[in-house]
Amino acid sequence: MDLYSGKTALVTGATRGVGRIIAEHFLSEGASVIGFARGEPSLTAAAYHHVQVDLADPMAIQKAFLGLHKQITRLDIVVNNAAVLTSQYAMIMPPAAAQAMVNVNLLAPFIVSREAAKFMRKSKWGRIINIGSMAVSLEPIGDSVYAATKAGLSTLANVMAKEFGPMNVTCNTLGITAIESDMLSQLPRDKIDAIIAGLPVPRFATAADILNVVDFFAAEASSYVTAQTVFLGGVN
Amino acid sequence: MDRREEVLAIILSALESLNLELPEAERVKVGPTTPLFGPDATLDSLSLVSVIVDVETALTMRWDAPISLTDDRAMSREISPFDTVGTLTDYVLELLQEIAPA
Repeated sequence: MDLYSGKTALVTGATRGVGRIIAEHFLSEGASVIGFARGEPSLTAAAYHHVQVDLADPMAIQKAFLGLHKQITRLDIVVNNAAVLTSQYAMIMPPAAAQAMVNVNLLAPFIVSREAAKFMRKSKWGRIINIGSMAVSLEPIGDSVYAATKAGLSTLANVMAKEFGPMNVTCNTLGITAIESDMLSQLPRDKIDAIIAGLPVPRFATAADILNVVDFFAAEASSYVTAQTVFLGGVN
Repeated sequence: MDRREEVLAIILSALESLNLELPEAERVKVGPTTPLFGPDATLDSLSLVSVIVDVETALTMRWDAPISLTDDRAMSREISPFDTVGTLTDYVLELLQEIAPA
Protein backbone atom coordinates (compact mmCIF):
# COMPACT_ATOMS: atom_id res chain seq x y z
CA MET A 1 0.00 0.00 0.00
CA ASP A 2 1.21 3.49 -0.78
CA LEU A 3 2.54 5.51 2.14
CA TYR A 4 0.00 8.32 1.78
CA SER A 5 -2.97 6.52 0.32
CA GLY A 6 -6.18 8.30 1.29
CA LYS A 7 -4.35 11.32 2.65
CA THR A 8 -4.68 14.90 1.47
CA ALA A 9 -1.57 17.05 1.68
CA LEU A 10 -1.06 20.75 1.11
CA VAL A 11 2.36 21.97 0.01
CA THR A 12 3.17 25.64 -0.31
CA GLY A 13 5.59 26.66 -3.01
CA ALA A 14 4.83 23.44 -4.87
CA THR A 15 5.82 24.56 -8.36
CA ARG A 16 9.59 24.24 -8.00
CA GLY A 17 12.52 23.32 -5.79
CA VAL A 18 11.96 21.51 -2.51
CA GLY A 19 8.20 22.09 -2.60
CA ARG A 20 7.89 20.37 -5.95
CA ILE A 21 10.05 17.46 -4.77
CA ILE A 22 7.81 16.96 -1.74
CA ALA A 23 4.59 17.36 -3.74
CA GLU A 24 5.77 14.80 -6.32
CA HIS A 25 6.71 12.40 -3.52
CA PHE A 26 3.30 12.66 -1.87
CA LEU A 27 1.64 12.10 -5.25
CA SER A 28 3.81 9.09 -6.01
CA GLU A 29 2.85 7.63 -2.62
CA GLY A 30 -0.88 7.91 -3.21
CA ALA A 31 -1.81 11.26 -1.66
CA SER A 32 -4.03 13.93 -3.12
CA VAL A 33 -1.97 17.09 -3.17
CA ILE A 34 -3.01 20.72 -3.08
CA GLY A 35 -0.30 23.11 -4.17
CA PHE A 36 -0.31 26.75 -3.10
CA ALA A 37 1.94 28.98 -5.19
CA ARG A 38 1.98 32.34 -6.86
CA GLY A 39 2.85 30.91 -10.27
CA GLU A 40 1.25 28.55 -12.74
CA PRO A 41 1.19 24.84 -11.88
CA SER A 42 4.16 22.75 -12.94
CA LEU A 43 2.59 19.42 -11.95
CA THR A 44 -0.10 17.78 -14.04
CA ALA A 45 -1.02 14.67 -12.02
CA ALA A 46 -4.75 13.97 -11.73
CA ALA A 47 -4.48 13.98 -7.94
CA TYR A 48 -2.83 17.42 -7.96
CA HIS A 49 -4.94 20.52 -7.42
CA HIS A 50 -3.20 23.84 -7.88
CA VAL A 51 -4.29 27.01 -6.13
CA GLN A 52 -2.70 30.19 -7.41
CA VAL A 53 -2.28 32.42 -4.39
CA ASP A 54 0.09 35.16 -3.32
CA LEU A 55 1.42 33.84 -0.02
CA ALA A 56 2.59 37.32 0.92
CA ASP A 57 -1.07 38.31 1.27
CA PRO A 58 -2.81 36.89 4.38
CA MET A 59 -6.26 37.73 3.04
CA ALA A 60 -5.52 35.88 -0.21
CA ILE A 61 -4.54 32.79 1.80
CA GLN A 62 -7.78 32.93 3.75
CA LYS A 63 -9.74 33.22 0.52
CA ALA A 64 -7.86 30.21 -0.85
CA PHE A 65 -8.94 28.22 2.20
CA LEU A 66 -12.50 29.41 1.73
CA GLY A 67 -12.33 27.77 -1.70
CA LEU A 68 -10.85 24.59 -0.21
CA HIS A 69 -13.71 24.29 2.27
CA LYS A 70 -16.03 23.96 -0.72
CA GLN A 71 -13.92 21.22 -2.32
CA ILE A 72 -12.45 19.04 0.41
CA THR A 73 -13.58 17.78 3.79
CA ARG A 74 -10.23 16.80 5.25
CA LEU A 75 -6.66 17.96 5.17
CA ASP A 76 -4.11 15.65 6.74
CA ILE A 77 -0.64 17.01 6.05
CA VAL A 78 0.67 20.53 5.55
CA VAL A 79 4.18 21.36 4.42
CA ASN A 80 5.00 25.03 4.84
CA ASN A 81 7.77 25.22 2.28
CA ALA A 82 7.36 28.46 0.34
CA ALA A 83 10.01 31.03 1.11
CA VAL A 84 11.72 34.03 -0.40
CA LEU A 85 15.30 35.03 0.18
CA THR A 86 17.11 38.31 -0.23
CA SER A 87 20.65 38.05 1.07
CA GLN A 88 22.08 41.48 1.76
CA TYR A 89 23.97 43.38 4.43
CA ALA A 90 21.43 44.67 6.96
CA MET A 91 22.40 48.32 6.45
CA ILE A 92 21.46 48.17 2.78
CA MET A 93 18.65 45.59 2.89
CA PRO A 94 15.59 47.12 1.18
CA PRO A 95 12.77 47.26 3.74
CA ALA A 96 10.36 45.88 1.14
CA ALA A 97 12.54 42.80 0.71
CA ALA A 98 12.68 42.32 4.48
CA GLN A 99 8.90 42.68 4.69
CA ALA A 100 8.41 40.14 1.91
CA MET A 101 10.52 37.59 3.80
CA VAL A 102 8.49 38.13 6.98
CA ASN A 103 5.23 37.78 5.06
CA VAL A 104 6.07 34.71 3.00
CA ASN A 105 8.46 32.88 5.33
CA LEU A 106 6.70 33.43 8.65
CA LEU A 107 3.25 35.00 8.42
CA ALA A 108 2.07 32.72 5.60
CA PRO A 109 3.00 29.51 7.51
CA PHE A 110 1.08 30.89 10.48
CA ILE A 111 -2.06 31.56 8.42
CA VAL A 112 -1.78 28.28 6.49
CA SER A 113 -1.24 26.27 9.68
CA ARG A 114 -4.12 27.84 11.55
CA GLU A 115 -6.52 27.41 8.65
CA ALA A 116 -5.34 23.82 8.14
CA ALA A 117 -5.82 23.12 11.84
CA LYS A 118 -9.51 23.92 11.41
CA PHE A 119 -9.74 20.93 9.08
CA MET A 120 -7.52 18.75 11.25
CA ARG A 121 -9.49 19.34 14.43
CA LYS A 122 -12.50 17.72 12.78
CA SER A 123 -10.62 14.56 11.83
CA LYS A 124 -8.46 14.67 14.97
CA TRP A 125 -5.35 13.90 12.94
CA GLY A 126 -2.81 16.14 11.33
CA ARG A 127 0.83 16.70 10.54
CA ILE A 128 2.24 20.20 10.07
CA ILE A 129 5.80 20.29 8.78
CA ASN A 130 7.71 23.52 8.37
CA ILE A 131 10.73 23.71 6.11
CA GLY A 132 13.39 25.57 8.03
CA SER A 133 16.98 26.29 7.16
CA MET A 134 20.55 25.75 8.27
CA ALA A 135 20.75 29.55 8.26
CA VAL A 136 19.07 29.49 11.68
CA SER A 137 22.12 27.86 13.19
CA LEU A 138 24.89 29.13 10.90
CA GLU A 139 23.66 32.76 10.90
CA PRO A 140 25.41 33.73 7.65
CA ILE A 141 26.23 37.37 6.97
CA GLY A 142 23.50 38.88 4.80
CA ASP A 143 20.79 36.51 6.04
CA SER A 144 19.66 38.43 9.12
CA VAL A 145 15.98 38.58 8.23
CA TYR A 146 15.89 35.26 6.37
CA ALA A 147 17.50 33.43 9.30
CA ALA A 148 15.23 35.20 11.77
CA THR A 149 12.10 34.19 9.87
CA LYS A 150 13.29 30.58 9.69
CA ALA A 151 14.09 30.59 13.41
CA GLY A 152 10.60 31.93 13.93
CA LEU A 153 9.21 28.91 12.08
CA SER A 154 10.52 26.58 14.77
CA THR A 155 9.02 28.70 17.50
CA LEU A 156 5.75 28.84 15.58
CA ALA A 157 5.68 25.06 15.34
CA ASN A 158 6.58 24.61 18.99
CA VAL A 159 3.75 26.82 20.25
CA MET A 160 1.25 25.35 17.80
CA ALA A 161 2.34 21.89 18.93
CA LYS A 162 0.98 22.78 22.37
CA GLU A 163 -2.24 24.27 21.02
CA PHE A 164 -2.93 21.48 18.53
CA GLY A 165 -1.60 18.54 20.56
CA PRO A 166 -5.02 17.72 22.03
CA MET A 167 -6.30 17.39 18.45
CA ASN A 168 -3.62 14.80 17.60
CA VAL A 169 -1.91 17.29 15.31
CA THR A 170 1.88 17.39 15.42
CA CYS A 171 3.99 20.38 14.38
CA ASN A 172 7.66 19.98 13.51
CA THR A 173 10.39 21.73 11.56
CA LEU A 174 12.93 20.34 9.13
CA GLY A 175 16.01 22.52 8.85
CA ILE A 176 17.44 21.77 5.44
CA THR A 177 20.90 22.47 4.16
CA ALA A 178 21.65 23.65 0.64
CA ILE A 179 20.05 21.77 -2.23
CA GLU A 180 20.35 22.65 -5.90
CA SER A 181 17.41 25.01 -6.45
CA ASP A 182 16.38 28.36 -7.89
CA MET A 183 16.81 29.92 -4.46
CA LEU A 184 20.37 28.63 -4.16
CA SER A 185 21.28 30.10 -7.53
CA GLN A 186 20.60 33.57 -6.09
CA LEU A 187 23.53 33.22 -3.71
CA PRO A 188 27.27 33.42 -4.43
CA ARG A 189 28.43 29.88 -5.13
CA ASP A 190 31.74 30.29 -3.31
CA LYS A 191 29.90 31.38 -0.16
CA ILE A 192 27.65 28.30 -0.29
CA ASP A 193 30.55 25.96 -1.01
CA ALA A 194 32.44 27.32 2.00
CA ILE A 195 29.43 26.74 4.26
CA ILE A 196 28.92 23.21 2.96
CA ALA A 197 32.61 22.40 3.44
CA GLY A 198 32.25 23.29 7.11
CA LEU A 199 29.33 20.93 7.79
CA PRO A 200 29.86 17.66 9.67
CA VAL A 201 28.58 15.94 6.53
CA PRO A 202 30.17 18.20 3.90
CA ARG A 203 27.87 17.76 0.93
CA PHE A 204 24.69 19.24 -0.49
CA ALA A 205 21.36 17.79 0.61
CA THR A 206 19.57 15.43 -1.74
CA ALA A 207 15.85 14.96 -2.27
CA ALA A 208 16.12 11.64 -0.43
CA ASP A 209 17.64 13.35 2.62
CA ILE A 210 14.70 15.73 2.81
CA LEU A 211 11.98 13.17 2.06
CA ASN A 212 13.36 10.81 4.71
CA VAL A 213 12.60 13.34 7.47
CA VAL A 214 9.33 14.50 5.91
CA ASP A 215 8.16 10.87 5.89
CA PHE A 216 9.27 10.47 9.50
CA PHE A 217 7.35 13.54 10.68
CA ALA A 218 4.28 12.58 8.63
CA ALA A 219 4.20 8.95 9.73
CA GLU A 220 1.33 7.51 11.72
CA ALA A 221 3.92 6.20 14.17
CA SER A 222 5.20 9.73 14.81
CA SER A 223 2.18 10.88 16.80
CA TYR A 224 4.44 11.33 19.85
CA VAL A 225 6.97 13.43 17.93
CA THR A 226 6.08 17.10 18.02
CA ALA A 227 7.69 20.51 18.64
CA GLN A 228 10.96 19.19 17.22
CA THR A 229 13.44 20.71 14.80
CA VAL A 230 15.65 18.32 12.85
CA PHE A 231 18.59 19.76 10.96
CA LEU A 232 20.18 17.91 8.07
CA GLY A 233 23.89 17.45 7.53
CA GLY A 234 24.92 17.70 11.15
CA VAL A 235 23.88 21.34 11.61
CA ASN A 236 22.79 21.97 15.17
CA MET B 1 -35.81 31.88 8.53
CA ASP B 2 -34.68 35.48 9.07
CA ARG B 3 -31.04 36.42 9.49
CA ARG B 4 -31.13 36.51 13.30
CA GLU B 5 -32.61 33.03 13.44
CA GLU B 6 -30.04 31.78 10.95
CA VAL B 7 -27.10 33.18 12.93
CA LEU B 8 -28.52 31.87 16.19
CA ALA B 9 -28.90 28.41 14.63
CA ILE B 10 -25.24 28.48 13.52
CA ILE B 11 -24.06 29.35 17.04
CA LEU B 12 -26.27 26.76 18.70
CA SER B 13 -25.07 24.16 16.20
CA ALA B 14 -21.48 24.96 17.18
CA LEU B 15 -22.35 24.38 20.83
CA GLU B 16 -24.04 21.09 19.96
CA SER B 17 -20.91 20.02 18.07
CA LEU B 18 -18.82 20.90 21.10
CA ASN B 19 -21.06 18.81 23.34
CA LEU B 20 -20.43 15.80 21.12
CA GLU B 21 -16.74 16.06 22.04
CA LEU B 22 -17.23 16.64 25.78
CA PRO B 23 -17.86 14.11 28.55
CA GLU B 24 -21.51 14.18 29.66
CA ALA B 25 -20.73 15.93 32.95
CA GLU B 26 -18.99 18.81 31.13
CA ARG B 27 -21.56 19.47 28.42
CA VAL B 28 -22.90 23.00 28.12
CA LYS B 29 -26.48 24.16 28.02
CA VAL B 30 -27.52 25.02 24.46
CA GLY B 31 -29.73 28.10 24.27
CA PRO B 32 -29.82 31.83 23.52
CA THR B 33 -28.85 32.80 27.07
CA THR B 34 -25.95 30.34 27.44
CA PRO B 35 -22.90 32.14 28.88
CA LEU B 36 -19.82 31.67 26.70
CA PHE B 37 -17.20 33.71 28.54
CA GLY B 38 -16.85 35.09 32.05
CA PRO B 39 -17.59 33.86 35.56
CA ASP B 40 -20.90 32.22 34.64
CA ALA B 41 -19.51 30.32 31.66
CA THR B 42 -18.72 26.63 31.91
CA LEU B 43 -16.63 26.48 28.71
CA ASP B 44 -12.89 26.30 29.11
CA SER B 45 -10.70 28.39 26.81
CA LEU B 46 -10.10 25.59 24.29
CA SER B 47 -13.84 24.86 24.10
CA LEU B 48 -14.57 28.53 23.43
CA VAL B 49 -11.95 28.54 20.67
CA SER B 50 -13.63 25.48 19.14
CA VAL B 51 -17.01 27.22 19.15
CA ILE B 52 -15.57 30.40 17.63
CA VAL B 53 -13.80 28.42 14.89
CA ASP B 54 -16.99 26.50 14.04
CA VAL B 55 -19.07 29.68 13.97
CA GLU B 56 -16.50 31.55 11.86
CA THR B 57 -16.26 28.66 9.41
CA ALA B 58 -20.03 28.33 9.07
CA LEU B 59 -20.50 32.09 8.61
CA THR B 60 -17.67 32.25 6.09
CA MET B 61 -19.18 29.42 4.06
CA ARG B 62 -22.71 30.83 4.25
CA TRP B 63 -21.81 34.39 3.27
CA ASP B 64 -18.85 33.47 1.06
CA ALA B 65 -16.42 35.90 2.69
CA PRO B 66 -13.81 35.49 5.43
CA ILE B 67 -15.38 36.55 8.73
CA SER B 68 -13.29 37.03 11.86
CA LEU B 69 -15.00 37.20 15.24
CA THR B 70 -11.85 37.97 17.19
CA ASP B 71 -10.42 41.10 15.65
CA ASP B 72 -9.38 44.16 17.66
CA ARG B 73 -12.87 45.59 17.52
CA ALA B 74 -14.37 42.58 19.26
CA MET B 75 -11.67 42.45 21.90
CA SER B 76 -11.83 46.14 22.80
CA ARG B 77 -15.56 46.28 23.51
CA GLU B 78 -16.81 47.18 26.97
CA ILE B 79 -19.33 44.37 26.73
CA SER B 80 -17.66 41.34 25.22
CA PRO B 81 -19.40 39.81 22.21
CA PHE B 82 -18.63 36.47 23.81
CA ASP B 83 -20.57 37.01 27.04
CA THR B 84 -23.51 34.92 25.90
CA VAL B 85 -24.97 33.33 22.81
CA GLY B 86 -27.23 36.38 22.57
CA THR B 87 -24.41 38.94 22.59
CA LEU B 88 -22.50 36.89 20.04
CA THR B 89 -25.58 36.76 17.82
CA ASP B 90 -25.89 40.55 18.00
CA TYR B 91 -22.21 40.99 17.15
CA VAL B 92 -22.38 38.65 14.18
CA LEU B 93 -25.43 40.48 12.85
CA GLU B 94 -23.47 43.74 13.12
CA LEU B 95 -20.56 42.26 11.15
CA LEU B 96 -22.88 40.82 8.52
CA GLN B 97 -24.58 44.18 8.09
CA GLU B 98 -21.20 45.52 6.93
CA ILE B 99 -20.40 42.80 4.42
CA ALA B 100 -23.93 41.94 3.28
CA PRO B 101 -26.50 44.57 4.29
CA ALA B 102 -29.89 42.97 4.89
